[in-house]
Amino acid sequence: MAAEDLPSEFDVVILGTGLAESVVAAACSRVGQRVLHLDRRSYYAANWASFTFNALLTWIQEQQEGPQPEQGKDWSSLLNDGEELIHLSNPDLDSITNIQVLSYASEEDEEVPDTAKEETSANSQLEAESTGSREEESAEAEEESAEAEATNTKGEEPEVDQSHPGASSGPSEPTRKKISYAQLLKEGRRFNIDLVSKLLFSRGSLVDLLIRSNVSRYTEFKNVTRILTYRHGNLQQVPCSRADVFASRQLSVVEKRKLMRFLTSCIEETEMDQAYSSQPYSKYLQDQQLGENLQHFLLHSIAMVTEDTPTEAGLASTRHFLRSLGRYGNSPFLFPVYGLGEIPQCFCRMSAVFGGIYCLRHSVSCLIVDKDANRCKAVIDSRGQRISCSHFVVEDGYLGSRSSVTTPTRLLSRAILITDSSVLPSDSEQQVSMVTIPPGEVCQSAVKMVELCSSTMTCMPGTYLVHLTCQSVGSAFEDLSQLVTKMFQTPESQEPGGRPSVLWSLYFNMADGSVPGVEGQGLPSNVHVCSGPEGSLDHEHSIKQAELIFQRILPDEEFCPPAPNPEDIIYDGESPTPSAEEDSVKEAGQQEESGGDLKEAGQQEESGGDLNPQLDQ
Amino acid sequence: MALRELKVCLLGDTGVGKTSIVWRFVEDSFDPNINPTIGASFMTKTVQYQNELHKFLIWDTAGQERFRALAPMYYRGSAAAVIVYDITKEDSFQTLKNWVKELRQHGPPNIVVAIAGNKCDLSDAREVSEKDAKDYAESIHAIFVETSAKNAININEVFTEISKRIPVVDAAGGSSAKSIKLGRQVSESRKTCC
Repeated sequence: MAAEDLPSEFDVVILGTGLAESVVAAACSRVGQRVLHLDRRSYYAANWASFTFNALLTWIQEQQEGPQPEQGKDWSSLLNDGEELIHLSNPDLDSITNIQVLSYASEEDEEVPDTAKEETSANSQLEAESTGSREEESAEAEEESAEAEATNTKGEEPEVDQSHPGASSGPSEPTRKKISYAQLLKEGRRFNIDLVSKLLFSRGSLVDLLIRSNVSRYTEFKNVTRILTYRHGNLQQVPCSRADVFASRQLSVVEKRKLMRFLTSCIEETEMDQAYSSQPYSKYLQDQQLGENLQHFLLHSIAMVTEDTPTEAGLASTRHFLRSLGRYGNSPFLFPVYGLGEIPQCFCRMSAVFGGIYCLRHSVSCLIVDKDANRCKAVIDSRGQRISCSHFVVEDGYLGSRSSVTTPTRLLSRAILITDSSVLPSDSEQQVSMVTIPPGEVCQSAVKMVELCSSTMTCMPGTYLVHLTCQSVGSAFEDLSQLVTKMFQTPESQEPGGRPSVLWSLYFNMADGSVPGVEGQGLPSNVHVCSGPEGSLDHEHSIKQAELIFQRILPDEEFCPPAPNPEDIIYDGESPTPSAEEDSVKEAGQQEESGGDLKEAGQQEESGGDLNPQLDQ
Repeated sequence: MALRELKVCLLGDTGVGKTSIVWRFVEDSFDPNINPTIGASFMTKTVQYQNELHKFLIWDTAGQERFRALAPMYYRGSAAAVIVYDITKEDSFQTLKNWVKELRQHGPPNIVVAIAGNKCDLSDAREVSEKDAKDYAESIHAIFVETSAKNAININEVFTEISKRIPVVDAAGGSSAKSIKLGRQVSESRKTCC
């Protein structure tokens, strides 16, 4: 396709397709601003992206090779009097570090009679500590799979064929098929592996925004079905809803009553005892006569805070959790089908629907600043085109060295595992589990772990995708590998046991986006900086940031007002179309059954209480 | 009669007539001056096929294909994709092959692919032979028709062919399909059962 030329004038130019940038894009387009949204990368969502298995391997390779050197072109010929340049850099320079890949799956398909001795073959190939050589392998394997894919296009059903020779060979023998590395590659596109691991609180600001703006129409969600916590070397289910509390077998009758009383009083938001205003939440919990069990649940799994968190903050977190309970199911959390990487894309689509122009693999080389006014008048894109704009919104990574001068970099440690079974097997194979691991036992900082099953469309059937996140102390591997060895079966695991086997794992560190930004550091007043993902479980930080930026750009406009209907015009076959656009919008709203009427839907949900009508069937 | 909602996504170069095809199918009208797709990026039409009603939820690209920046979320859950090229533009047929590749990478595994050679009313200016296109479509097991949104040729046929190729309701698939739609009523999202 011939590269079309971009228009040379926009209201808002946005560089980077992370969550906050994408929300700003949608909000601006929605109220009629002309938006140009660019990303230097070939994929959407920056460090919020999710990848197929094969695409993740490519991403890893790119990160390890480091960025391509860029020639510093001289754009001064494009400058007018009284203008100067601010050069931008490559966002991938240092946001991802310490990548380590460990693959435990056997290279070839193999049939294993039982689970007992599976590890032997994997053991022998594991010695490759140098990630470099493994990378080559995976790259080769990837090529192979690409070939396989090419030939597959001729066959009807690329998925179902050769992968299960076992089915025909021995139907009588109860064999468990060990998933090979080749299979992971072959089924690679069934994976959607997120770089960040977060959840949506059912009453958090992201869910509210999705509903309010109607962007929610572009995606669907799964409920997190259970909350687990790691304690004394075991996993326990945390009872959080009324139903859970009563059904719990771990709690005594007395504990149940205490817990219910505490939760009820907590939600009522009674005045906090002033005596605790300077005391940690853990002390407050201690004094509620709850017992050790309940204190652990409340502190680590419900409030998800540390021992030192002040009482006020602890109570607020507890309330936030409780309020989100029951809106969509048995836990307060939702997870988007196909992964978190969908969310920024959904906001981008909303922006595009309202006229936003999208280019990937297309960046901004520098900003043109009016020296007197200290405002960014225009940008020069990576193809040397001068594009004028009234506002410029940018992912902080593009500001490169500017951001790291003053603020020490804080990091998140991440581990991503593909495993062959759940950490806590149950009747259903399709559980989505949120696991809290308090600091101390096996790790230095509190670890949040999310285990996704295949129905979330993030991993192939027969596997689970496990995300671990914590504030880093050392490298991701140092922070998390011990925990992985303990909770899962790897060749390093000391004791055998029925734990899930790790087929493949990735460790890396990511810059923590909660570090105060570079705002105001000599940047023009109409340049707005978005930070990358931070370590919290929710999305409050980015959504708040996007709203603030929007208000600075357009102080008099509403932030993501209820769209009449996101797709504007929905013509149904049966009815003739009204000619006036306004009318058709209205009509479409009515035709969409009650879909458009959010308030009503909201109330219905509300009345559901914690009975979860949605999931009961 | 059972109602099935089928998401269909449109692919193809800017200006090949994606939106016109949908307009013809849904509205039975044609507007030569249709704007590059802004606003109207979603339309539906319900068609009877055998003893089922097929409600096509047709997603338009919202212009994101213009600079090759279509998001993978666009393909999610699509039962079918209609890939359109312009028979008077060889280029548009070449990029069609890229769309097929893109779909293999990001689209659902069992997606039904239909290739529509649009503007067949302009056969004087033809640059892509019907045979070449047909051979290519066969090689990838895709539906193939030459269409004219302007003269209403073969537009309904594209969708009838899609209906034929959509697998009969998969008994097993239902179990894992319980997803939550935000802001909608619960009953709606489960329409496809029974």
